[in-house]
Amino acid sequence: MGTSDRYERLREQATGATRDSSPPTLLAVVSLAISLLLLSPLVWLFLRAGEIQFGHALELLTSETTVSVTLNTLALVGGVTAASILVGVPLAILTVQTDLPFKRFWTITSALPLVVPSYIGAFAFVSAFGPRGVLADLLAPLGIEQIPTIYGLHGAVLVLTLFTYPYVFLTTRASLLSFDGTVVEAARTLNHTRWQAFRRVTFPQIAPGIAAGALLVALYALSDFGTPAIMQYDVFTRMIYNEFGARRLDYASILSMLLLVMALGILAVESRLSAGRDGAYVSSGSRRPGTIQLGYWKLPAVLFCAAIAALCLALPVGILVRWLVRSGTGYAGGGFSFEMAYAWNSVGLAAAAAAICVVAALPIAYLSARGTTGVSSLPERATYVGYAVPGVVLGLALVYLGLRYVPFLYQSVVLLVFAYVVRFLPQAVGSTESSILQVDPQYIEAARSLGYGPLSAFRQVVLPLVAPGIVAGAALVFLTTMKELPATLMLRPTGFETFVTYIWLVQGAGYYGQAAVPALVLVALSGLSMLVILRREDTS
Amino acid sequence: MSDLNDERSRTGANASRRRFLALGGATAATALAGCSGIFGDGGSGSTGDGGTGAGAISLADFRGSGPMVSQRDAPGGTSIDELPALSGELTLYLGGGEGGLYLDLIELLEQRYPDFTASHRLEASSDLANTIIEENEAGASPADVFMSIDAGSLGAVANAGATAALPEEALSTVPEDFQDSEGRWVGIAGRARAIPYNTNQLSASDIPSTVQDFPSASALGNSMGWAPSYGAFQSFVTAMRLIRDDDETVAWLQAMQDHGISTYDDEFRVSNAVADGELAAGFANHYYALRVQSARENAPIDLAFTEGDAGALVNVSGVEIISGTDNADLAANFVRHVLSAEAQEFFATRTFAYPMIPGVAPVGDLPRIDELNPPDIDLSELADVAGTVDLLREAGVL
Repeated sequence: MGTSDRYERLREQATGATRDSSPPTLLAVVSLAISLLLLSPLVWLFLRAGEIQFGHALELLTSETTVSVTLNTLALVGGVTAASILVGVPLAILTVQTDLPFKRFWTITSALPLVVPSYIGAFAFVSAFGPRGVLADLLAPLGIEQIPTIYGLHGAVLVLTLFTYPYVFLTTRASLLSFDGTVVEAARTLNHTRWQAFRRVTFPQIAPGIAAGALLVALYALSDFGTPAIMQYDVFTRMIYNEFGARRLDYASILSMLLLVMALGILAVESRLSAGRDGAYVSSGSRRPGTIQLGYWKLPAVLFCAAIAALCLALPVGILVRWLVRSGTGYAGGGFSFEMAYAWNSVGLAAAAAAICVVAALPIAYLSARGTTGVSSLPERATYVGYAVPGVVLGLALVYLGLRYVPFLYQSVVLLVFAYVVRFLPQAVGSTESSILQVDPQYIEAARSLGYGPLSAFRQVVLPLVAPGIVAGAALVFLTTMKELPATLMLRPTGFETFVTYIWLVQGAGYYGQAAVPALVLVALSGLSMLVILRREDTS
Repeated sequence: MSDLNDERSRTGANASRRRFLALGGATAATALAGCSGIFGDGGSGSTGDGGTGAGAISLADFRGSGPMVSQRDAPGGTSIDELPALSGELTLYLGGGEGGLYLDLIELLEQRYPDFTASHRLEASSDLANTIIEENEAGASPADVFMSIDAGSLGAVANAGATAALPEEALSTVPEDFQDSEGRWVGIAGRARAIPYNTNQLSASDIPSTVQDFPSASALGNSMGWAPSYGAFQSFVTAMRLIRDDDETVAWLQAMQDHGISTYDDEFRVSNAVADGELAAGFANHYYALRVQSARENAPIDLAFTEGDAGALVNVSGVEIISGTDNADLAANFVRHVLSAEAQEFFATRTFAYPMIPGVAPVGDLPRIDELNPPDIDLSELADVAGTVDLLREAGVL
């Protein structure tokens, strides 16, 4: 190799280095453009809120109801988040790090509750544990007249926790699977007890994972309308809903903005918690720590897993089957019949939303994972705002903006899929970003030094490594889109029905028997996409 | 079942007012069970003589089935045989959760007229009203007809100037109380406010004849339920504001809360909770109790009606034609069809609503609409939901 060759290589590396700085700029521009597009529906809130007189706005925001409902909402969000961590983290540790029997089975049952729409879950809980539900019927012959009420804060926290904790379970599990087990072994050799090793080594490593899942749980609890309504607990979304009912959109906008302020607060808290995440994710390794022997705790651990599975899966499915069986005596009838086309509509919409989300997530996640400044994670943070917007607010915003600026897209599936992307993109960004963080940056440098351009180095080296994370993100978007109701109702083309609009229709008409089969099929189909997520984690 | 005829011939409104549901259960059950099937053809009912070919749709298809229905007189009014055929494609916005019940009627009309299709959009009625108003402001709404379970939503769309004229033939068949004073919307089915109560826990005499006396009725303490975010309940409160005034309404709401009342998110659940014994009584539209009974025979639920006050409000489901439609003739003809004898028979026997044309009777043992004693209110005024939401909030109910 002559000196000129050497010089050539050096020069190439040098220009490569300068080219390196230009793609991030491009990346930043693309990411910023995507996040601005996703935030654009919020313009409607400002337009509407501008119509309200300042005095009225102040009166509304400082009213006794607003204050008490705000406190209610914060209590709900805090409760659900804390409870989800208490359920999700132990389940993740049990199924990853211990000698729990049938680990594979419990992994699946711990993740699956996410596919059950929480409004169906809430309905099942009231049917089972309501004042005159199945449990009360069973206990009545034993002389127990009254059971504690399921309604209220504790009921709402319970139901929301049981159907959203899998976010924490999945992200915690991913961190546990990817972090370097040798560190724990090292701590143990330094005379740490198991608890000390967990607290000082394992916990700091998985904390960002827990926080990422907890963020999704908290924002979901903040924006959900159906579950608190069924559990008779008064929260912010119900207040917004009432203003929509009263056709007072300016009031609804002011309240929605307050809701978004709460969402920003939650985001700020999570950002602080996961500030040290770079260290956490990058110290990944393929060596798992030694399996924890449960010993005497084996039976309680299995019972814990079984209890969660019974409440989150067996109960709702049981109630749906009961609707089906009882339909013979009048629970079914009338309404209108389910057509296979509705199932395909659902699947098609969810697949389109998942595909667009993963493409849009890639630059945002890459920028956030590889960027060095605080600004580089701004687009990533921005995507979470859309996740916190209640579906009905987003729906009407897109009705208004769609009619004015893209009338040819109004009531088309394009606008509907856009709404899904606004709501669910952070799920794809989160799982894509965590898998990018696990790719050693030196791999790219190695590829570049072999003469690959930045894009082809990314395609040849990074993409294959992050593909499992992308697929998992797609599956997560797919299954949440399948169960989304409010935006679907408002934005779908006229005459276009899906699983959830059909279930809503027949349930509203009181034909529970007819809702049962589509609901079961919906759960089963979404369950398949959950298997995709779990499969990826096993191979990574 | 033979008592049913006696029930109808009875003139004492009070007697039928108090306990008419005791017999209604089995009847109601068959009325709905007639068209069962999970993936079945819910639209055509299961009567043997219906036939499936185009134009072979008969009265029996519009009717619920069961012994009581078969004893009904043929409905009076204009038969669809006398109306021009429906032809073309209609875009129909259908407001209200239980609006799903009306889809059966749409399917029947589509079966009868092979050239007619109605592409429908079903959402909560206030959401659709919001949407139509937005669409109208931005140009023209894609909707030809708005059919809603709530006069307030119809009134809001009309007040926003988004409606077109209704055909005179339709307006003339419906009593003036149940249409807009300017003829911009017309009622198609009546919904009476009622007090469902659990017959194991209460008897009819426990329920006062005006809602004003409820807070002092000892039998109703800590045992009632309501659904204050539900549109029908808000209309009832709006009516109370119109009849009395805001201060008295707030006082009543607070007195009810002091007396002990539970909150539900819709009135079907309130009625179910009454049948379950979770509640002794509740505030709900009349037909929910009938639907509970149709789902569960022997459920211990009956209805009481108050008199002359907001609790006796009769609200309507109705239709209006949306301005800017390029389907005006079809829309007008469609409105005439939903007010035909057959369609009114459908609303009476399949949804348990009050028919809007004089020739059709309500189902079996419901009191006739003229036996009810509704307050004197212009239903269009029920559109002021915003003031009611403020007031419910002030009273600490919302």
